Amino acid sequence: MFKKTALAASIVMMSTATVYAEGPYRIGITQNNVGVDSYQTTYESAFEAAAEANENVEIVVLDAGGDVARQIGQINNLIQQRVDAIIIWPTNGQAVIPAIRQAHKAGIPVVVTNSKIAEAGLEYIAAFSGPDNVQQGASSAEMMCDALDGEGQIVQISGQPGYTTAMERAGGFEERLAELCPGVELLETQPGNWNRERAQRVMEDFLTKYDRIDGVYAGDDNMGVGALNAAKGAGRADEIVFIGATNFAVGYDAIERGEYYGSIYQSPVDDAEAALQTALDVLGGQEVPKMNFFETPKITAEILGEFDRPVF
Amino acid sequence: MSFLSAQGILVFFLLGMVVFSFFSEQFLSQSNIMTVVRQASIIGIIAVGVTVVIIGGNLDLSVGSLLSFSTVLVVDLHDKIGPVNAILLMFALTLLIGAVNGFLIGFMRLNSLIVTLAMLSAIQGLVLIYSGGQNVDIANQQGTWFAFFGRGYVAGIAVPILLFGLLAIVVQVVMSYTGYGRRIFAVGGNPMAAVYSGIRKNWCVFSTYLISAFCVACAALVLGSRVMGSQNNVGQGYELLVLAGIILGGTSLLGGAGSIWKTVIGVLILGFIQNGLLLMGYPYYIQWIVTWVIIILAVWLDLANKRKRLLTTHS
Repeated sequence: MFKKTALAASIVMMSTATVYAEGPYRIGITQNNVGVDSYQTTYESAFEAAAEANENVEIVVLDAGGDVARQIGQINNLIQQRVDAIIIWPTNGQAVIPAIRQAHKAGIPVVVTNSKIAEAGLEYIAAFSGPDNVQQGASSAEMMCDALDGEGQIVQISGQPGYTTAMERAGGFEERLAELCPGVELLETQPGNWNRERAQRVMEDFLTKYDRIDGVYAGDDNMGVGALNAAKGAGRADEIVFIGATNFAVGYDAIERGEYYGSIYQSPVDDAEAALQTALDVLGGQEVPKMNFFETPKITAEILGEFDRPVF
Repeated sequence: MSFLSAQGILVFFLLGMVVFSFFSEQFLSQSNIMTVVRQASIIGIIAVGVTVVIIGGNLDLSVGSLLSFSTVLVVDLHDKIGPVNAILLMFALTLLIGAVNGFLIGFMRLNSLIVTLAMLSAIQGLVLIYSGGQNVDIANQQGTWFAFFGRGYVAGIAVPILLFGLLAIVVQVVMSYTGYGRRIFAVGGNPMAAVYSGIRKNWCVFSTYLISAFCVACAALVLGSRVMGSQNNVGQGYELLVLAGIILGGTSLLGGAGSIWKTVIGVLILGFIQNGLLLMGYPYYIQWIVTWVIIILAVWLDLANKRKRLLTTHS
């Protein structure tokens, strides 16, 4: 027992020794599009706060503004600056791969955060850190199944077409629903482009088209609340179960009022801290799995009190 | 027959309605028609203003960002300074940005495409600075009369539709029956001749951007009230939808011709196409393709018709 503890202690000492020998680490991050939505804005401030709290870390914070060419330029810049690690929130899961390969060749470990890159690029990255969107879709399907007691007909409002998160959530939802709840029929899916007003319009058309809708699954709460608005306008909100993902403050409040069944709690603070920690683990020489998912639990009215109201 | 070909776009509209109604029984139901017109009214309200700008011989591509700006502003300020002040301040600042557009294009004589394209980005930047990237929401959604503009009804007709109709009628009357309207047509049709005949072109162009901004502010009122919240980029892409409606209606992008009435029809066609395709269950990519194919078709038909008319008058 003593031996084991001693061994563990010496490993800890060794690893701290190496950290202090090499540190402080300079970590560069290039983000997707800060400021365009609340999640990314909160992510950035949480990332900066986490880095601030760790005296062993120095950060270079860049933002691609949603532009893939600019992001590639930023990765090249970070390679030139010889940072110790690069964290990327990909603007496009395919187009950034050549730049990631360059960083890999230059011996700089790359951590991809939040949104995955294409299969072909996985061999060049040290790790991915982010939410498991397929699992999130599956969890939403489970909630839908519970809420409807395994019977009913529903519609889906998905995120931006072509965006990985949107596709993974829809895929996870549809697959789990079919397997768990064959009695629940998915009537139709239309994209709401992460936009509340657009989702509201789609839902209005669904309400015209279908006389009976028992449930709505929206790719995020912003769109889910848009669908709720539409149903309220048509006087049919009471007969419909609303389930979303990425719990927003408006979704949280709607759950509290009993108008919205449930969502998936995904904190940008957890997301940012997990990304930084993954990069530090890689730099510390630890064995880091390729895929690192942080917890994104279900949230419903019964357990609402266990969660803080989202800041976005 | 000549009447029919002159009203080509209207015939096209009615024909489309009949075709869609074969495929979907709900399409011509009263509630669906109301839904579509209400959905189209935000684009429609903006299109009324932009039509005036286009008749005056210029373009306005900044309306999408301006809509984001005005909506975020009015929603954010609603809880902070109360609905009345929020609405007044929003109108004032929106008109101020319209005045900047108008000054640069009317008085500095800069190219309207470049100026409003630049303003499209600049205003979006302004929105992000203002909101810090956060969504804005109205906290007490049940208890505010602000809901009237987007969700209310007067005599059984949705308020957005009434606003759209009222604006369209007023602006149409101004454009057709007042000296001011005729001066805008003159400036857009032949600026040189207009200046030589004593029209103050600078002021005319300047004023069209105020009208456009005023319409955007009205649209923001409807949008903010309908959604009771706003994303930073809520108006993104509206500039193209507005242009599409105007072109579909048959107002010439070259200026000096067109009417609000045509724009109303164009915007409604756009709304009914998108609604009809969705009711028929087509996926979104088909909707995109069909919408733009129809727009290009409409422009071509319009052009072919004009060419034919030119040829017949010459021969």
